[in-house]
Amino acid sequence: MRAPRPAHTRRAARWRPTLQRAVSHALAPLTAPAVAGVLRLGLGYRIVGIAESRRRYREIHSGRQTPLLICANHLTLIDSALIAWALGSPWWYVWRFSALPWNVPEQANFAATRWQRALAYVFKCLPIARGGSREGIAEVLGRLGDVLETGDVGLVFPEGGRSRSGRVEEESAAYGVGRVVRSVEGCQVLCVYLRGDAQRSYSALPARGDRFRVALRVVEPKSHHGGLRGSRDVARQIVRVLAEMEREHFGAHGHRDDR
Amino acid sequence: MEQSEVLGRVIKILTPYVKNQAALDSIDMSTHILDELKVNSARLVDVVLEFEDAFDIEIADDDVDSVETVGDAVTLIESKFA
Repeated sequence: MRAPRPAHTRRAARWRPTLQRAVSHALAPLTAPAVAGVLRLGLGYRIVGIAESRRRYREIHSGRQTPLLICANHLTLIDSALIAWALGSPWWYVWRFSALPWNVPEQANFAATRWQRALAYVFKCLPIARGGSREGIAEVLGRLGDVLETGDVGLVFPEGGRSRSGRVEEESAAYGVGRVVRSVEGCQVLCVYLRGDAQRSYSALPARGDRFRVALRVVEPKSHHGGLRGSRDVARQIVRVLAEMEREHFGAHGHRDDR
Repeated sequence: MEQSEVLGRVIKILTPYVKNQAALDSIDMSTHILDELKVNSARLVDVVLEFEDAFDIEIADDDVDSVETVGDAVTLIESKFA
């Protein structure tokens, strides 16, 4: 059953992402390589099997007929940049700009100052005030649903914040994710589990020089419930998949910090 | 159903989710559920689903967005009986 889209409270909000996308795309030849350069050369990060994760994402992105929302585990403040880097090269994103995911970062962390807001704008972000007014949150989620329907990809963290335990917290499933998925016809979910070998718990940044492993799984969560119950059910299904991917990650790699 | 009865049941449902127990002592219609009672925003939907079960009503997704205070919840529930 399709859920109603979270209502926009301001009419102007409807065309804002279109303008933001155009500005962001125009600057992407500068910004996308710059971010990748900082991650690889500045911070010394490496993604294990990056060619394979990028190949899979290209396959998923080009083969899809329906909107795609990436749902990932969340341990550091730069997870969205790491995930984008793991899934595509900077120049591929410039060419396939729809594949560069829209992010929904916490306003207090990424859009508190004018400078941060400008950066968030350029990096395809729709800042959200977690724990803020329900209508404000609904407006942002509504915008995210709109951009998904235009064919762009979105990225959210269904736990609603960085995991304080360092593990996927199934009970923290934020129902808003389910609401977005249910409001967008045929929305597919790409679950992404990404973790640095040195990452024990949550942190602002991963350890310098860390190596990341990434796993991808496409799911189409459904619920026979309607309304809120359906949205919560879908959100829980997504987080459950991430928890399962985490168990597989530790089963295959354990805790590695042998750099 | 009397408003006081609805309020009492709403408080009873909210209580297990409240992190600021001190705020429970002075709870009234104007008490902010997230800011004052410190209910986890991700748990608000669980609270609303408990309202649905307890009062045998159905609450739309959009209606949840209007629930900020205890009074908002009481008003929303009462509107379902109207």
